[in-house]
Amino acid sequence: MTSPVGPSSGNLPARRRMGAVLHVIFLAATLAGVVLLAILLADVLEHGIPWLRWSFLTSFPSRFPQQAGIKAALWGTIWLIGLTALFSIPVGLGAAIYLEEYARRNWFNTLIEINIANLAGTPSIVYGMLGLSLFVRWMALGRSVLAGALTMSLLILPVTIIASRESLRAVPDSLRQAAFALGATRWQTIRAHVLPAALPGILTGLILALSRAIGETAPLIMIGALTYVAFTPSGPMDAFTALPIQIFNWASRPQREFYGLAAAGILVLLGVLLTMNAAAIWIRYRSQRNVRW
Amino acid sequence: MVENLQSGAVPVGDAILSCRNLTVRYGAVAAVQEVTLDIPEHQITAIIGPSGCGKSTLLRAFNRMNDFYLNVTTEGQALYRGEDLYAADVDPVEVRRRIGMVFQKPNPFPKSIFQNVAWAPAISGYRGDLKALVETSLRKAALWDEVKDKLGQSGLALSGGQQQRLCIARAIALEPEVILMDEPCSALDPASTARIEDLFLELKERYTIVIVTHNMQQAARVSDGTAFLSRGHLIEFGVTKTIFTRPARRETEDYVTGKFG
Repeated sequence: MTSPVGPSSGNLPARRRMGAVLHVIFLAATLAGVVLLAILLADVLEHGIPWLRWSFLTSFPSRFPQQAGIKAALWGTIWLIGLTALFSIPVGLGAAIYLEEYARRNWFNTLIEINIANLAGTPSIVYGMLGLSLFVRWMALGRSVLAGALTMSLLILPVTIIASRESLRAVPDSLRQAAFALGATRWQTIRAHVLPAALPGILTGLILALSRAIGETAPLIMIGALTYVAFTPSGPMDAFTALPIQIFNWASRPQREFYGLAAAGILVLLGVLLTMNAAAIWIRYRSQRNVRW
Repeated sequence: MVENLQSGAVPVGDAILSCRNLTVRYGAVAAVQEVTLDIPEHQITAIIGPSGCGKSTLLRAFNRMNDFYLNVTTEGQALYRGEDLYAADVDPVEVRRRIGMVFQKPNPFPKSIFQNVAWAPAISGYRGDLKALVETSLRKAALWDEVKDKLGQSGLALSGGQQQRLCIARAIALEPEVILMDEPCSALDPASTARIEDLFLELKERYTIVIVTHNMQQAARVSDGTAFLSRGHLIEFGVTKTIFTRPARRETEDYVTGKFG
């Protein structure tokens, strides 16, 4: 048979079949993640909802499940993340500005960049060991929320730097050139034009990095964040616990009720994470509405 | 005084910008080679030549914008009123404040029209009335009537031609003596281009304009003097009319009559 429009394509049905099969495979791959997440969430909701009461947020842990709450861990996490933000944002942003706006391309800066990329992939337990020897012991900060925050800052610093750099790099060079050509200094250019343009992306990156710190458990266990704390930190030198540690502690107890408490704790943690991610999305959306290049 | 070059009839007037044996290299590649040129004050000087001939590099050498490119080396001299722009004690920030530049693609700041014009004077310590300065600058750039009721709107909301005039106003606000223009109309439609060309003729009363252009008709229409560059070398520099009608060099003639480039 000769095709009316060109050379014969006898293998067309086979090629179409191949396409259809792959289509299904790719769809299944996509659904795998979503379905697993849904199952996980359903399980957590089923066990956690009955325990999720207002008193759960306002009570300290207890060996009686009915009285146990997550107050110490929630406040510990808030302290931890607040201090981590305080340390990691200026340092991370400063490093990103240096590398992106000031640094010349030479072996030294290339070395720094490779190091940062490698640090971003270092297992968090390694940061825990560093924190233990550097902050807890050598600097004698003890098992304080300050030591925890410094450790977390180190952990998220590479991610913070990389995310901030990417936002700075996305600012078109024509904007910098416009400012330079008007006799602006480098800092005036960065301050007035580059940072405002990059800020939404930087904030999104920072929030996502902090979200990662919220979920981290290993480094906190390493530096000895307590699992039973019946108070909230009143200063940076106080001992503390955090949400993931409290959840882990409850989940490892034999009584069934504590399993429910762990699930409720996960829901609180998810709530905090979703709130932060929603904030990141909102910031991004707000900024994209009125800026176009 | 301007020294005589090949074409004989060279634009008359005192040189405000000059270069002497200026060579600009990107790494090992010389984009501008041994160019010696005098740009007279209160005139429009066009720099023409085929793509990649080094016209933009030559232009950027006059306000030290080449400093931002990697591995750029500049030899010879670029002079502004006889002062070497590359002398060790010269601050490039000060050079760029005095010698304005308008780019190929309009690049207003993503801020209000007012802010676009007022920012540079404000950061360089202007003490006068910013509002008045913004109005004067916008008037000189023939944009005031179109934007006077919406100074708070984003500069990016304007049309391409208006954006480019905003960029000109922004440069004018610093009261430079020279404005360098790097193919300022190549991203604009013919009507906007015509408006900007009219504007050039008004501006040259107060400023010296150096314009790099791909558009030979534009060079012929607006400029007093024309420099023709090819492969980094200055082939010919003279009165525009002469360059376009009786060029001294064969290469110039071939280029302006469209035989190559």
